[in-house]
Amino acid sequence: MIGLLLGAGSSAIALGGALSVSRRTFSAGLWLQATGAAGVSIAGFWVLGSQAVFGDPFTSSFVPRLGVDGLSGLFLGVLGLIAAPALVFSVRYLRPSPNGRAVAALTALFVLALVLVLCARDPLTFLSGWESMTLVPAVLILVSRGADRRARKTVFTYLAVTHLGGAGTWVAILLLAHAGAIGGHTTIASGSGLQTAIALSALVGMGTKAGVMPLHVWLPRAHPIAPAPVSALMSGVMIKVAIYAMVRALIEWDGVLPVWFGVLVLAVGALSALGGVVYALFEHDLKRLLALHSIENIGIIVLGIGASVVLRARGADTWAAFALAAALLHCVNHAIFKALLFLGAGAFERAVGSLEIDRLGGLLRRMPWSGGAFLVGAMAIAGLPPLNGFASEWLTLQALIHVPRYGHIGDGIAGAFALAALAATAALAVFCFVKVVGLVLLGAPRTSAVAGAEDPPLPLRAALVVLALACVALGFAPGVLFGPLVGLAPGSSRIATHLGLHVPGTGSLPTVGIAVALVGLAAAFALLRGNRRAAPAPTWASGQLVEPALNWTSAGFTKSLRLVLEFVLRPEREISSKTEGGVLQEVAYSGSVPHLVEDRLYRPVERWGFRAALHARRLQSGSIGTYVVYLIGLVIVLLLAVRLGVIG
Amino acid sequence: MSGASAVSGVVQVVGGVALAPLLPGLIQHWKARLQGRRGPTPLQPYRDLRRLWGKSMVDPEGAGPVYRLAPVVVAAALAGGVLVVPVAQAVPNLGLGHDALVLLGLLALARFAITCASWDVSNGFSLMGASRDLMLSVFVEATFVLALAVAVLIADTTDLRGVVAGTAGAGVWGSPALALGALAFAIVAIAETGRQPVDNPDTHLELTMIHEGPLLEYAGRDLAYLQWAAAARHWLVLVLAAQVFVPHPHGVWPQLAVLPLALIALCTALAIVETLLAKMRMLLVPRLLAVGLAAALFGIAAWIAGVA
Repeated sequence: MIGLLLGAGSSAIALGGALSVSRRTFSAGLWLQATGAAGVSIAGFWVLGSQAVFGDPFTSSFVPRLGVDGLSGLFLGVLGLIAAPALVFSVRYLRPSPNGRAVAALTALFVLALVLVLCARDPLTFLSGWESMTLVPAVLILVSRGADRRARKTVFTYLAVTHLGGAGTWVAILLLAHAGAIGGHTTIASGSGLQTAIALSALVGMGTKAGVMPLHVWLPRAHPIAPAPVSALMSGVMIKVAIYAMVRALIEWDGVLPVWFGVLVLAVGALSALGGVVYALFEHDLKRLLALHSIENIGIIVLGIGASVVLRARGADTWAAFALAAALLHCVNHAIFKALLFLGAGAFERAVGSLEIDRLGGLLRRMPWSGGAFLVGAMAIAGLPPLNGFASEWLTLQALIHVPRYGHIGDGIAGAFALAALAATAALAVFCFVKVVGLVLLGAPRTSAVAGAEDPPLPLRAALVVLALACVALGFAPGVLFGPLVGLAPGSSRIATHLGLHVPGTGSLPTVGIAVALVGLAAAFALLRGNRRAAPAPTWASGQLVEPALNWTSAGFTKSLRLVLEFVLRPEREISSKTEGGVLQEVAYSGSVPHLVEDRLYRPVERWGFRAALHARRLQSGSIGTYVVYLIGLVIVLLLAVRLGVIG
Repeated sequence: MSGASAVSGVVQVVGGVALAPLLPGLIQHWKARLQGRRGPTPLQPYRDLRRLWGKSMVDPEGAGPVYRLAPVVVAAALAGGVLVVPVAQAVPNLGLGHDALVLLGLLALARFAITCASWDVSNGFSLMGASRDLMLSVFVEATFVLALAVAVLIADTTDLRGVVAGTAGAGVWGSPALALGALAFAIVAIAETGRQPVDNPDTHLELTMIHEGPLLEYAGRDLAYLQWAAAARHWLVLVLAAQVFVPHPHGVWPQLAVLPLALIALCTALAIVETLLAKMRMLLVPRLLAVGLAAALFGIAAWIAGVA
């Protein structure tokens, strides 16, 4: 039954992809794809709910095998939940031009590659799905941008970084397969060199794909330049599939990892969370800001995984399961609100033509549907009650506050640092998204194009509203997912399902009570305020005339934080003034916050890399005689090696 | 529900709603006395609220529904906080539970709502205050969580009722953990209530405002809500301080009996701090909060050392 639904869903996506190639069946193809994605989602959540295994079990041998279990089911459910609205959004967002049609068809391929990774039960299928998941979006970006210079450069960085780092995935999966540990058939000894090698290469390989700092450089470049529905899939789902792989490799198959590795994961998570949000805060382009913010959320998810590793190493299996459930719940929540925000940004771009956040404004009044949905998404991602982002952040905080409990100074202090980092991240996320909401949705429009903006057609609005409702629903009843998620951790059983979050042995989050109380209290206060008699008045600007030149910008709003963090961020600013006859005529100001990881880490590596490549190039002479000499040399070296007993 | 629990529930709701304005009033009163002035009576905030309630409101040009809704949302978030923070170790659950981390979420919601209102009217001074408040909130929230974590670890639960019970009595003060947590929380309390040396509640110069900044355009009942919310913030922070980070007895009745004394003592302490210290340069405040952060970290380390 499940297999049938999954198969039918995937076939519908494939068929829809094929149909959308033709101009006449373009929108029918996208609708069919969306239907298929919805089918995949239902099947996925069904599997999660039943916690059963369908199809083949995991195997370490290289024979193609397909199947699903609870964890695959969760991510399949999320994939469909995001892909369906994104595809409905595409129906009117993409034009049936040759480019648009190619993007629609490639989107189907992209979704199918993600399904393949999630359903793969053997190393071969997994790795082929993994590589297509990397390559298809690269093609998508090139096609959608007509392979312009910026797109080519971005795709080069994307492929270079994800393949260099992504080699770690190959190493981890092949080592696991070699040890026969895929599917947990053999247990890898704790503290062994093999375990450490697998854990580190999985963290690097899958971490690159997930976009953890400092391996994230491709992400803020590649995600924003894709078309909005593809950005939604990349930020919403693709990087979550990397988290899926990380959970499989680190938590399920690699035995009980040592404490130091958990602390390392916590450190990586904290760095990603703080770094992602800080750079997002100083960003001026809405889609780039959202992409950087994905790094922050991946950081929060990785913090949950790190807490789970530490707690498991300390023998606290129940709490390790809660920490993992926190990470997985945040995966679901982030997928929903990030897809919503990317699609919302797409709707704004379609209506206004620009996403420079200092040149928008007042869109809530002009585009009430898209603006309203975007506001819900922004509040959810900022982690405000009673929406879904708060529920998973609360759970992650609970997990981290538990880390010091086991009386070990090293991991205890690491947990405390991670806790402080997460709290600061939450506050920074509020700062970042109140800025976005203020500059994009509120106030007066900053340009004439914004003043004439109108809500997009029905399919686009529907996609946004559905995702916004999902944020509200999961904020209201996160416990529906929490119960089954706890059951996914190794060696734990699911707990009773509530609507709110009830963690045994500590405080609880009665989400329903909080939502009802907040809405009820706000309504009561509004009623008590009575009929609002209000006198109109100009905005107070110390008696000055209020002009557009007085509008606050993104840089102005974040200045206080930039000043405080100057010693870490090293912002650049340049002020030049022109004086004529002792009178100041002109002042030009420019400032930027450079991305330190790129400037200090990648630039030198890149420079050395190109220099080394120049030297290596001398080997490539083009004369056949030289190549024959290389071959003969190689044969001699190999023969010598065999004779000396080094190989063979 | 026992009688003690019911009574403390009543104290919590009535105290949080009706007595909250008394706290800033008391601080202002003591402060004036310490500075050799007669000053207003402690009841002045109530008079202000009554006056504001009778006045009409103001809608700046271009203000939309977000501006009009913000005071209501802020008041609802703070009222939610009043229901969350228990006045004693046994209080009835009023629907929101009593989780320590929920309180942080509610305070963040209030901050988000009022900053949105500033953006909606695009008032530069409001935004300046909001921007500063958000900048400080990054450091305040990190310190707040760690200070709470010390108490949470001692009590082994994040349920604040359990925390109040777990930190009661003299025994917990044997280890330096809670004292270090209390030092961190003292700094958080000053920042969260917007008092000197972090912010100056008496300032009416737009350029120096932090917490008052976003309130600039409001009048009438809107402003009344926001001022009540500021008072409720005092209540939340000081009740939390009194029942967790200040020595308090076991048992509901003794806790309820000691609470007023502790609150008066804490208000006096804040007044003394305000009298002794001038407002800091804003960019240096994160350093003050870093001291709190370090204290809380040492507190956690001390707790771990005590367990191990």
